Amino acid sequence: MTTAAPPSRFARRLPADDGVLRAAVPTTLQVNVGKRCNQACHHCHVDASPTRTEVMPDDVVDACLDVLAHTPELDTLDITGGAPELHPRFREIVARGRTLGRKVMVRHNLTVQFEPGFADLPRFFAEHAVEVVCSLPHYTEEATDRQRGRGVFAKSIDALRALNDVGYGRDPRLALNLVSNPVGAFLPPAQADLERDTREWLLAHHGIVFNALFTITNMPISRFAAWLRRAGNYDAYMARLEAAFNPSTVPGLMCRSLVSVGYDGRLYDCDFNQMLELGLEEGQPSTIFDFDLGRLSARPVRTGEHCFGCTAGAGSSCGGALA
Amino acid sequence: MPAYFDDADLAHFGDLKQHAPELWNAFERYYAAAFEPGLLTKREKVLVGFAVAQVSQCPYCIDSYTQTALEQGLTMKHLAEAMHAAASLRAGIALAHGLVAHNVDKKISM
Repeated sequence: MTTAAPPSRFARRLPADDGVLRAAVPTTLQVNVGKRCNQACHHCHVDASPTRTEVMPDDVVDACLDVLAHTPELDTLDITGGAPELHPRFREIVARGRTLGRKVMVRHNLTVQFEPGFADLPRFFAEHAVEVVCSLPHYTEEATDRQRGRGVFAKSIDALRALNDVGYGRDPRLALNLVSNPVGAFLPPAQADLERDTREWLLAHHGIVFNALFTITNMPISRFAAWLRRAGNYDAYMARLEAAFNPSTVPGLMCRSLVSVGYDGRLYDCDFNQMLELGLEEGQPSTIFDFDLGRLSARPVRTGEHCFGCTAGAGSSCGGALA
Repeated sequence: MPAYFDDADLAHFGDLKQHAPELWNAFERYYAAAFEPGLLTKREKVLVGFAVAQVSQCPYCIDSYTQTALEQGLTMKHLAEAMHAAASLRAGIALAHGLVAHNVDKKISM
């Protein structure tokens, strides 16, 4: 006789009686086009770096665009990586998404603008009215460089200025949003407070403007988890996340409204499950080639202890705090 | 007793309640109310707490308020400024007490 595995600690905290987190109808197709990046940040949940070779092949790119074209419910294309701009078909993917009338978001690390051949990225983004979501852990140089590497803050400031120069943060069509992750094993501050401080500081000291700032909790997986363990912080951090579980964050969890596509075309509930290679539940489409909106709607989401990262405190999602 | 100050003890602060529950409850209410945002923001109050912890030389409080400050979006640079502000005040206080010597000397010396 076999017995079902007991529900995880996270599942036991869910408001639903059956401990199952259910998705709604997906409205965002989040496409991870590869793990190659010009940076290797300490907190990166993708373990992205310049040495990674995983790149989304042509047939998967074509399938993603085909799904987008035939699924009007997917109103947003969210392109991530790695540094997604390094994908050879990145500009084509963006342009096609916009031609299809979708909102296109790009997870932009700013410093990629200084790689050879990428200086015109701000203008390209502006021409296609891409929503640019930029990584800037903190408005002080010391904190940002500790997480992302020496010299990254100065380059990020130059890159933000280049985005401002083409209208980002000023033109209502050109949204420039910042993402801040804590520089260590602690929860992010209140999003509104950090947004206010960052806005005042960047304007006063660097003349930079932006639209919104999203706080995102560091996920206890991949490179960040390895650092937590090395530094002897893993158990305390997990306890902190679990103790800060906030049930009011659950309805807004990003896994409930998006489908995540890996570079190889496999489907996931979120980018974090993707990095843990936790595919969709059995019985669901497993790759972009089998995409079926009807089956993906109301699907049970695969959860684990890492999910406490998205439900701690004010919550965390690709769009920042949830509560 | 292996050590007087152990960081693991911090999680057991509440164990003290058992010895005087009513007084402990009163303290908890007072402490929580004092740190509610008012004219001062939560972050400003956390910095006051950090500075007091620093000059009171309480390892538990320094540990706790450093973590709280980081979760308020402050960095070690902010805390260093707070630390120096508190330390300089302590230095000033030590010097101000020199007025006692100054006054005694004035009174009894020719």
